[in-house]
Amino acid sequence: MTSFAIETEYLGRIYKIRGSKKEKKIRKELVALQEVNLQIEQGELFGLLGPNGAGKTTLIKVLVTLLAPTSGRARVAGFDVVDQPQFIRPRINMVSGGESSGYGLLTVRENLWMFSQFYGLSSKEANRRIEELLTMVGIADRMHTKSSDLSTGLRQKMNIVRGFLTDPEVLFLDEPTLGLDVGASRDVRRFIRQWLDEDGSRTLLLTTHYMVEADELCDRVAIINQGRVLACDKPSVLKLRLQRDAIFEIETSPLNGLSAEALESLPEVRKASLSETESGAKLDLILVEEAALAGVINVLSQKDIRIMKFNKREPTLEDVFVDLVGRSMEEVETVGEDE
Amino acid sequence: MAESTVASRSTQLATLKSESWRSFKMATWLGWQIESNWADPFLFAIYSIIKPLSGAAILVVMYGIISKGNFSNPLFPYIYLGNAFYIYAGAMMTGVSWAVIDDREHYKTLKYMYIAPISIPIYLLGRGVARFITGSFSVIITVAVGVWLLHVPLDMITANWPLFFLSLFIGVVMLAMMGLLLGSISLLLAHHVGFIGDAVAGALYIFSGAIFPLDVLPAWLRPIGFIMPITYWLELIRRSLIGNVAEAFPTLSGFSNGQLLGILVGLSLLFSIVSIYTFRFCDRRARERGLIDRTSNY
Amino acid sequence: MSSTSSLAQHPGKVTGWRLFLKTVIARAYPRVIGQQRDKSWMFFDIVLPLGGVIAYVLVYKAIGAPSEYVGFVVMGGAMTAFWMNVLWSMSSQLYWEKEQGNLALYIMSPNSMMAVLLGMALGGMVATLLRAVAIVLLGSLMFQVQYAITNFFQLLAVFVLAMSALYGMGMMTASLFLLLSREAWHLSNLAQEPIYLATGFYFPIKSLPFWVALGASIIPLTLGMDAMRQLVFPSGFKIGFLSVGVEIGVLMALCVVFLVGAKLLLGYMEKLAIREGRLTEARR
Repeated sequence: MTSFAIETEYLGRIYKIRGSKKEKKIRKELVALQEVNLQIEQGELFGLLGPNGAGKTTLIKVLVTLLAPTSGRARVAGFDVVDQPQFIRPRINMVSGGESSGYGLLTVRENLWMFSQFYGLSSKEANRRIEELLTMVGIADRMHTKSSDLSTGLRQKMNIVRGFLTDPEVLFLDEPTLGLDVGASRDVRRFIRQWLDEDGSRTLLLTTHYMVEADELCDRVAIINQGRVLACDKPSVLKLRLQRDAIFEIETSPLNGLSAEALESLPEVRKASLSETESGAKLDLILVEEAALAGVINVLSQKDIRIMKFNKREPTLEDVFVDLVGRSMEEVETVGEDE
Repeated sequence: MAESTVASRSTQLATLKSESWRSFKMATWLGWQIESNWADPFLFAIYSIIKPLSGAAILVVMYGIISKGNFSNPLFPYIYLGNAFYIYAGAMMTGVSWAVIDDREHYKTLKYMYIAPISIPIYLLGRGVARFITGSFSVIITVAVGVWLLHVPLDMITANWPLFFLSLFIGVVMLAMMGLLLGSISLLLAHHVGFIGDAVAGALYIFSGAIFPLDVLPAWLRPIGFIMPITYWLELIRRSLIGNVAEAFPTLSGFSNGQLLGILVGLSLLFSIVSIYTFRFCDRRARERGLIDRTSNY
Repeated sequence: MSSTSSLAQHPGKVTGWRLFLKTVIARAYPRVIGQQRDKSWMFFDIVLPLGGVIAYVLVYKAIGAPSEYVGFVVMGGAMTAFWMNVLWSMSSQLYWEKEQGNLALYIMSPNSMMAVLLGMALGGMVATLLRAVAIVLLGSLMFQVQYAITNFFQLLAVFVLAMSALYGMGMMTASLFLLLSREAWHLSNLAQEPIYLATGFYFPIKSLPFWVALGASIIPLTLGMDAMRQLVFPSGFKIGFLSVGVEIGVLMALCVVFLVGAKLLLGYMEKLAIREGRLTEARR
């Protein structure tokens, strides 16, 4: 029997999509997951980082037994997700970002109590935990408010409490801070870390497309794109890939048609990604060595592009993503929308 | 100054017309997209045939048991045709009123409709058009089966088609406005399990003369039937399609076709005015209480 | 040994029949509370349906039916309350739960789907019973319906068995909603009038051709109502389709078949929906 809290072996999931009426039942396939291999230890806070449409939610749905894989296997708390879901479900819970579950006519406390009953908690224990958790996330004063009267952020906090209420062995958080403001997101992150640190038998899988969140919270991170896990390690180790590289962030005037490919064709420019700003553009460069910067500045000068700001920085997970995928997360999402 | 006021008014009127037309057109298109979005068109066809025919069959069986199969009595076509066209009552009232619940609870788009530059009442009426179309399909099937299999004495040649189509048009508009009345009330209600339109149509069955003459009602209840525009509408439909049979029932025999049309138009206008004012009241209350975007399913 | 490899119970959590009961109560709770917090259902779910019943009574009066037929309509109208509870408060409700995201949470938790459905049905039972009682009381008073109960215990047995089988059947149809979305909603809509016709809500089922009546007997309310009519109305024995004893036997069998079938079908449909990825889709 495995000792991992979560384990996947060559996990794959293909969706069949029906076309629109005009396409007259043309069936397409969407490969949501491909050969995903993960091993998550008990006690870990594991992050799954990737752009929208990368397969993060699909992976979570497979692991929480809502979706069967089309290939490969997965085990949670030692049990197979397809053959033994009845043993997994008492041990897990899930919270999704922006979810609208529950019943608007019920109060916060009533909604949470109801869900606790589905896990067999005694009412007394449930009420005690509800009060405790609502206090920890800062909405104890809204306990008797109907959930339909809550703002999006407060509702999400209620949902988060729902996930922690049953004290699962393995908790899945799918973009839990979606829709929360900066302060609320910080509170939630602190709460997550505290919950995990309290008990070494708890495991948490967190999906996010916020690099900062993954970097700050996670013991290990898997970077996923187009259904594939591209890299999996501690954030510090992932960033070490780029440690020997020089990373520069340059703010410029408008680019006058300069493309990322043109910059990447320069010697010892490993990766370049461009994004537009209000006043011009921002270049993120990963150079093999610092000396390559001269070539870049030369090209900018030839194109009459002025440098407004110039900064050398330490590698981030975003840089790791760009290094692996060839584009920034924002660019991947934009291209995905266009397609 | 006067000229600019006139110009401003005519611009406002043009804008209002454009907004109303845009609201209606878009809502009709949307309503049809929703109603016709069946995974299996065959199932949709079955639904449109089986459901109304089953409803009619209940009455046919009830009648058949008691009359021992005497379908030549004028009471039978009275009941049959009344029930057939009453399908419009359920369809229109539900089609318009259900749009509030559907958009608010299911699609969660009601709030976006509210903040868009469209007319919400006209939008709701437009959403009812698709139900009118599907309802028409059911009515035609039911009437056709009645004529073909049960010898309902509808003669295509002697029927008064101008009266029929005029009555039908007025009646459908009247039913749509009643649907708007229910839709307005739905803005303030939680999502209960049933269709409010169907429930109200079911209750109004008693007072509309659809499946029995109003004379069967206790005397103290008959006045309710006489203030219902549906009563006059169904009477006109019967007179136009099976004139001689309709004459067998004395309830409204003292009124000419013209008088019935006049009463129908008058009562329809009255209900329409009530609907519009009810909408304004419920709309204001719903916004005061923050109910436009609530979900209340339990 | 790692706790992930054992069925270790978390302190304070129950399983088995206790969990089943907790789930039933928990899911009934929003229904009960919702009905208290917005009482408009009383008008739309009780008063208005009474109007529909009165309409059918008046049809019988218009065509000169014997007085006991009025009683048939009153009873049929009362029983439609239970049918509506099964169809719309339970089976079709899963459609709304799926749309809202609650269905995924129900499936993911260690409870039984049957418990969730039963909770939904029981939660709506207050409204259902009120509707049924209101129709029987008011309908009987308004139209002076005469009753003559010949065997109360048999009547009770018929009612309990019919309800158990009906709710079992409802759970089976609910399983369709795990897999389908709007199609199941339309199917429920489609099922209403044909069921009213085939099961004889408003007329004795004996009036239909034998094989039609026999086929309709698969729906528990058919034989349930037929038996109740025989036990409750003075001339009931004349219009019975089968004898009360046979009908009780068939209802017992239907109980077993539907309740076992519900468990199996719910399990199967859940697996199928998980394989097809339908549990969390929002196909409208």
